Order: sequence, then C-alpha cells, then structure tokens
Amino acid sequence: MDFLYSYIVLAEIYVLLGLSTNLLVGIAGIFSVSQAAVFGVGAYIVAHFMMAPDPLSFIPSLAIAAVGCVALNILVTLPALRVSGDYFVVTSFGIQLLATAVFTNWTAGTGGANGLPGIPPPDLLGLPIETTAQYAWLCTGAVVLGCLGFFLIMRAPFGRLLRAIREDETAVAAAGKNVLRAKVSAAALAGAFAGTAGGLYATFLSFIDPSSFDLDASILLLTMVVVGGARTLAGSIIGPFLLLALPQLLTLVEIPTTIAAAARQLIYGLLLIMFMLFRPQGLAGERL
Amino acid sequence: MLALQLLATGLVTGCALGVVAISFSLVYATTKIFHVAHAGIYTLGGYLAWSLVLYGAPLLIAVLISVAACAALGALIQSQLYARLERRRATHLVVLIASLGALAVMQNIIAAVYTPDILQFPIEWSSRMVSVGAIRLDYTQLLTILVSLAAYAGTMLFAHGTILGKRIRAVASNPMLADITRLQPQTVYVYVIAIASALVCLPGILVPLDLGLQPYNGVTPLLTATIAMIAGGVGSITGAFVLSVAIAVVQNLSLLVIPGEWSIGVTFFIFVIFMLFRPTGLFTAR
Repeated sequence: MDFLYSYIVLAEIYVLLGLSTNLLVGIAGIFSVSQAAVFGVGAYIVAHFMMAPDPLSFIPSLAIAAVGCVALNILVTLPALRVSGDYFVVTSFGIQLLATAVFTNWTAGTGGANGLPGIPPPDLLGLPIETTAQYAWLCTGAVVLGCLGFFLIMRAPFGRLLRAIREDETAVAAAGKNVLRAKVSAAALAGAFAGTAGGLYATFLSFIDPSSFDLDASILLLTMVVVGGARTLAGSIIGPFLLLALPQLLTLVEIPTTIAAAARQLIYGLLLIMFMLFRPQGLAGERL
Repeated sequence: MLALQLLATGLVTGCALGVVAISFSLVYATTKIFHVAHAGIYTLGGYLAWSLVLYGAPLLIAVLISVAACAALGALIQSQLYARLERRRATHLVVLIASLGALAVMQNIIAAVYTPDILQFPIEWSSRMVSVGAIRLDYTQLLTILVSLAAYAGTMLFAHGTILGKRIRAVASNPMLADITRLQPQTVYVYVIAIASALVCLPGILVPLDLGLQPYNGVTPLLTATIAMIAGGVGSITGAFVLSVAIAVVQNLSLLVIPGEWSIGVTFFIFVIFMLFRPTGLFTAR
C-alpha cells in the first residue's frame, strides 16, 4: 500500500512540474530544458531553510522557494527573450548545465555529489506529516490547487494572450500587447510551480542529490508533457502518471541494472521523436 | 609560465571547438533548425573511431570510416526526421523537441553499448609530449590544431569556391527565392547536414583522443560552440571559428583565478554579456 502511495506522491509532484513545463513550453511556446534546474533550486532552498540552525517550518520555506524560483526564472528569461527564441534555447541549456555544476560542486551549500540527507518531514500549520498516506493527501491538495490555478489562468485574459503569442507573436505585438512581459510572466509562473514541486520532493524523499535535477530530468519533464499532451490540464496529469509507471514496467523486463538508466532515457528520446512525427498533440492535448 | 601553457591549451581546445561551431553554424544558417542532435553525432563519431581502432584499424582508416558514417547519419536525420516534420508544417518548437529526442536516443544507445564510463583510445603515441620553448603539448594537440585549421580553410574554400557551396549560401540567404530558381532547398539541406556531420566528426575524434570518451560529453562543447556562433554572428564561418578560439582561451586563462569545475559559468557569462550588449555578434557578415 505504501508503494502505491509513494507512486501517487511522486506522480503528483511531477504533475506540478508538468503544469509548469506545459505553461512554458505548451502554452507560451518557449522551448526549455532547464525546468529540472528550477525544480532543483526549489528543493535545495526548502532543504536549506528546514535544516538551518533555527529551522523554518514547511510552509514559509516553501514560500521562499517559490519566490526564489520566480526570481530566478525572471532573471534567466529576461535577457534571452528580449532578443529571440533561439537565444533562449542556448540560455536554458546553459542554465541547466550551470545548475548541475553548482549542485555538484558547491559542497558547502548542497552537499555536492553525495547529496543532502536528513531533510525533516513537513508539517502543515503545526500538524506533522509523517506517513506516506498523509503525504499523499498533502500532495493531492497541492495538485488540486495547482490545477485550479492552471485552469483559471487558461481562462483568464492572460491565458488567451499567451495562446495568441504562441500563434502569432507579431500580430499580438501589433495589437499593442507587451509580448515580452507576457512571456516573462509565464516563465515566472512556471518557476513558482517548479519551486513548490521541488520543496515537496525534497521533504518527501528527505534526501536530494544532483542526479534528480540534471539534463536527463529536464528531458523527462518535456517527454511527460509531450506524451500527455501540450496545452491542456488533462495532458499535464496523464503524462507524469504514465511515464512514472514506465520504470516499474522496465523492471519486469530482464535488463542489466548497469544499462537500466540509459534504456529509460532511450525510451524517452524515442517517445519524443515518435510523438513529434505522428502525434504532436500528445494523448490528450492540442496542436503543439 | 602557467599562463603561457594555458594559452596554448586554450588555442588547442578553441580550434577543436571552432570546427564544432562552423559545422553547427552551417546547419543553423542554412536550415534555421537548432540542430541539438549535432552533439550526438559529435559523440558517436568518437565512439565509432574508438571501436575501429580497438579492432585493429589504423587511425586514419578509422577516421575516414567514422566521418563517412557520421555524414550518412546526418543525412538520415535530415531526410527522415526534419524533412518529414517540414512537410507537415511543424512549428520550430516541434522540430526542436524532435532534435532533442534524437540527441537522447543517440547518447543513450552509446551509454547502453559502451557503458557510461570513460574510455581511452588504445594509441600510445597520442600522449607523447613535444616541448616548444616553455610550452608542452602532446601529439594529439598538435594534430588537433593542424586538422582544425585545415577544416576551417577547407570550409571557406568550399563555401566560396564551389558550385555546391554557392548553392548552399544562396539557400541560406533566401530559401524562397532558391526554391523558385530550382536550387531545391530540401536537397541542399540534406547535403549541408551531411557535410556538417562529417566536419563535426573530426573534433569528435580528436578531443577524445586526448581526453577520453564519455557518452554525455557532447552537450557542453555544442553549447559553447553555439555561444561562439552567436557571438561571432550567425552565418559567419570566420566569426564562429575566431570566437570559439577566443572563448576557449578566456576559459583556459580563467583557470588561473577560477577552479575548472566552474568553467561552464565563465562560458555562460560571456554569452550573457553578448546577449545584453551585442546580440547580433561581432562579425555580422552575410
């Protein structure tokens, strides 16, 4: 039963990340492979504040992480998006590699390659959350809030503006809308989702290391959105639940453990190519 | 003394990087595709040559076979992936995601076949040292400089002196007009990616000859090369090559004050400076 709960918790954390990626890649149409870096920053910030000499409790730490990730995303996207789309591709690769370098080499702050163990479990306004079942409820709450937020944003004028930008940027600019500001706002929102997911992830596993937040993780996130379907709420939910079940399926096939990670990433790559060729809208999405 | 040595190794790295940059620049300026999968071809070239050398082929033969294989793979990616997407009027984003998928597939096939551990070429002369004054370089590094400069000169001659080179530049500057005048852009794209893949195979072999092979080692050079391309001005072969050398030299000299594991930060910092102050690059030629 615990196994099922932990699958649900992880899938729900990835749903939040899926929403974040979908906002950026699906709706605003900004290609990004640095989502895992932002996720990681959120995780490390929460870990840092909850393990400080006079620790903060869970909710304030999570808030700081979310704000930190929003600031990071604004700082990162602003110079690149000002110029053109392909500059942001370079930026996002750069940020991802730089973040991995920081997570791995800044031993004093992140524990380096050995990771950061012993992150305390979260509490909700004084109520401790210790069992996996309680954790599943917490994450479900977070996901419901996240989905509600996503749904409302999509219906709001801001959501329509983003979709219009994806269709035709020049036309939107000609209509007197500030394209740059809309795109940076989308990135900021994506940062808030990813930061929150990072905090939940760190406290759930109580251990984080750089390998969860590398380029491969970013590719996994992109695959989740592509498979589930871009630009829809359903797509962001289906993708993570399906793709997190994949490693379990792979354990049924006899694959030597040394190549299991490579085999998994290989499948993600194949999925990306196949979906782009034959079903760019994913299982439950709209045209990408 | 140390500064001089770092300058020399910077020049070597820069030359190898320069070939990556001009090959990427060829693809990007012509097809407008941000060909991320290029990093996979770079890595694959090295591994192919390694296998051939391991089975007893002389290095030159191994290089030639790997270059041909990379060219074929590049042509395959263009004709089977990018051209199909183009026919379906896929957006830029879709092509980019597909390219990233192709990169993931190539890297992980390599990782599954060869394990993710570092592999060294079984060639004993590659690390023999030569001293020029106070600078010490090994045979591989000298070879890298020679081959890279030859590749640069060859590319310049090809682009300006041959019919195909001129056709490529015509398609790059105006695909619509090229299509009307029957220069067949889609065919040209296949040639361009094949040529670029053949080119990128050279540093893909030379750099690992010195430093060893690892399946995920292609992304950082490609990123640095794209930064050099942008800083040099998209479409300028000379710009891409010169800026690659400059960035690699700065990166190596920065080792005097900044530890090596942060060199990606130095590269990225250079990129941000360019983005803020000169986003069109230094050599804004056609």
